[in-house]
Amino acid sequence: MTNRQPAYQPSTTDPSRSRLRNGLSVIGRSDLRTNGGKGAGRRAASAAALLGVLALTACGSGSGGSAGAAAGEKVDGGTIRYAHLQEPPCIYGGWVQQAYLSRQVLDSLVSQTEDGSIVPWLAEEWSVSEDQLTWTFKLKEGVKFTDGTPVDAQAVSDNFEYWTGGGNGTVQAYIQEYYESSKAVDASTLEVKLSAPYSPLLSALSQGYFGIQSAAALKERTEQQNCEAPIGSGPFTVGDWKRGESVTFQQNPDYNSAPQNAKHQGPAYVDSVVWSFVQDNTSRFGSLASGESDAIGEVPTVDFETAKPQFQVQQYITPGRPVTLSLNTVEGPFTDTKVRQAFAYSADRKAVVDSAFLGVVPFEPNGTVSQSTPGYNAEIAGEYPFDQAKANALLDEAGWTERNADGIRTKDGQELAIDIVFGLNSIVTTEGATALQNLQEQVKPVGFKVNLLPVTQADLFGGAYSTPDSYDAQLGYWTSPTAGILYINFRQNTAKNPNYANTAFYNNAEIEDLILKANSAPSTEEANTFYAQAQQRLSDEAVAVGLYTQTSTVATSQNLQDVWLEASQGEPVFHDAYFTE
Amino acid sequence: MSTSTLNPSANVPAAAWQRLREVPLLPAVAAAVVLFFVLAALTPHLLTSRDPFAIDLPNALQAPSLAHPFGTDQSGRDLYTRVVYGTRESLLIGLGATGLSMAIAVVLGVVSGLGGKIFDGLINRSLEVLFAFPVLLLAMLFVTVYGPSVTTQIVAVGLGTAPGYARMIRGQVLAVKNSGYVEAAHALGHSRWTVLRQHVFPNAMRPLVAVVTLGIGQSIVWASGLAFLGLGVAPPSPEWGALLDAGRMFITRAWWLEVMPGLAIVAIALAATVLGHHLQKKLEGARS
Repeated sequence: MTNRQPAYQPSTTDPSRSRLRNGLSVIGRSDLRTNGGKGAGRRAASAAALLGVLALTACGSGSGGSAGAAAGEKVDGGTIRYAHLQEPPCIYGGWVQQAYLSRQVLDSLVSQTEDGSIVPWLAEEWSVSEDQLTWTFKLKEGVKFTDGTPVDAQAVSDNFEYWTGGGNGTVQAYIQEYYESSKAVDASTLEVKLSAPYSPLLSALSQGYFGIQSAAALKERTEQQNCEAPIGSGPFTVGDWKRGESVTFQQNPDYNSAPQNAKHQGPAYVDSVVWSFVQDNTSRFGSLASGESDAIGEVPTVDFETAKPQFQVQQYITPGRPVTLSLNTVEGPFTDTKVRQAFAYSADRKAVVDSAFLGVVPFEPNGTVSQSTPGYNAEIAGEYPFDQAKANALLDEAGWTERNADGIRTKDGQELAIDIVFGLNSIVTTEGATALQNLQEQVKPVGFKVNLLPVTQADLFGGAYSTPDSYDAQLGYWTSPTAGILYINFRQNTAKNPNYANTAFYNNAEIEDLILKANSAPSTEEANTFYAQAQQRLSDEAVAVGLYTQTSTVATSQNLQDVWLEASQGEPVFHDAYFTE
Repeated sequence: MSTSTLNPSANVPAAAWQRLREVPLLPAVAAAVVLFFVLAALTPHLLTSRDPFAIDLPNALQAPSLAHPFGTDQSGRDLYTRVVYGTRESLLIGLGATGLSMAIAVVLGVVSGLGGKIFDGLINRSLEVLFAFPVLLLAMLFVTVYGPSVTTQIVAVGLGTAPGYARMIRGQVLAVKNSGYVEAAHALGHSRWTVLRQHVFPNAMRPLVAVVTLGIGQSIVWASGLAFLGLGVAPPSPEWGALLDAGRMFITRAWWLEVMPGLAIVAIALAATVLGHHLQKKLEGARS
């Protein structure tokens, strides 16, 4: 059984960057490995590093030496009290916050590891036809949903139909235009037919949105029931959900379908997980510090240094679209490429991010794909450095030559005012809001007037800010295990026009063509070459200005072992977790 | 600065100076605090040379020092400057909300006290319904519906506190209405309107001067509370409640972000309360 975390991949580039590309960074371990990285010596010597190693040796990776006794004796059972930031309206759905929850209950066909490779989960093996249009999945046998019905090829096929029939918008964003049909060849063989080759398919399937639900439940129960308490074959079942407080996951005693990269097969070690929702940063971290919680998600950056010596802290840099400012390319000042470029040049974005996140969350210069994504174009990361002289020159060229009494540039009497919309506390954390405030001040000398418009989750998800007249820039991210996220964010046409995920409203047939070529490339390497070209083109056009990476973090108390963050988008996994005495 | 020109006895009649010296220490200090904040609200640039929005990233989260008496925040902005510049909004909200609630309360209270059974019953029942909701809840409801801004905060806090004042004014009006001098005025044949204007209204309002002063401090606390809950003006505005909200996250690391704006709120609320009580005592003394 592969319990082992993939080893750190040596690289000739900056070691800290390599660590990020690796995705999951267990604080401490990576410091030891990236010998010579900035401050590595100091931190390696710290208790944090040792504890990080302990956490890993406990899972049998053998990567960190002999210490292990301090972890204590393993005890079976118990309840993990986990405190999380966000409470989504439902457990199953198309938002990453829902994938975090549904991961506890649903198994997917495949799982992605940190190095980007795909390993078996519900599908034991798979193959694709010569023309890349027919995928055949061989399912594990003897797996049952928690309602007693079998996980067979028909059930999985029904799930494909359910997703593409409108059951999950995010699944649709990935596969709608490629999926043609699926059928059960026999009880354990599923055949999926595509209309065109689609290289990101397996990566996409590894995400929580693609969790397989009981076909009987999908058919017989209401949409609401399936969304609030999905029935799958996963390590837990959904118990009591007290809105605004917590949801309880009960152990599935018959669980026999853990992914190959899990640390053990068979039922979860603990009896249950009480997943509470504590939006306030101080209270959430306080609950861990006081022992009220055994684990917390989204460790506040201000508490990171405090947390490291006391708890096991893991940080996962999510792949996909980073937290980026999408610039409105069809209405307002950003319709002019020069103004967009000037905006990118006008702030010291690295300083802005490092200061707001106290150096805990990495700066992401690339506006379209984050640094931990396979297929990330590292070359364009150097573009648009902090250069206000260049920004001024570009704005002059663009005709924004006058300035008013406040120093704001004007053109034909219009102020160079930029409305930045962001979902505060739903999409953007308070630290992110601070970064925006820093940015707001930094672009002032160039003559930009930035208005920050924090909006509520209800307004944002309700579509109040989905049209070109509602903002000049919007801050957002989209986690995805593949650079194929470009397809979601920058294609022109979707089944339901307009493409709501194209928050820059940017349509360019040539770039779309590159993305489509990548999607249909015969190998991942070739696909990534095209994706890299598309990133280059999008960077040239400055349609999105990168700020920081979306991260998923978890801090666990010293007596809770083997909580891990999976690698498709940082979903926390409690199936392998156990308490020690 | 020469003492002779400042010596009030030289310019002010001796009797007035004597009166001033009789002001006890506490109200004098309170008056000085209020004066400081009024100055900060009107001419903040006289009290600090910095820009409340200017960031200085390398100097983020610095503890109080000579250069930054209140420390700096997470973007390196000078907290003292921000507290000074935040005064205007905070005071504006305090004064505006109190003014608004008084205006509403006077109309409701007087109509209720003089308008006869039907009006009195109607207004009283509505006030009772409003009383069933805590002030903060009413204010939050209003801000949620109309969106956060200085205006909505003024209206929200003003509406929320109005019922209390209305009750008080109604009681005063009723008491004054049945007093001997009003009866005497009626008996002397003055018109209803004259009696209302010359006797009822001034006598019913007098005790409220103190209540208003108390109310300003209270309104600032309400408004800061709303901002703290994220229902106030949005950051990076230096409004005091917003400062508290923004600093909350850093409480384990940078205590000054909470303590300094908190002290400002406490100082103005206390000062207004002390002045209010002082006025109240004076007025009661004058009446007896």
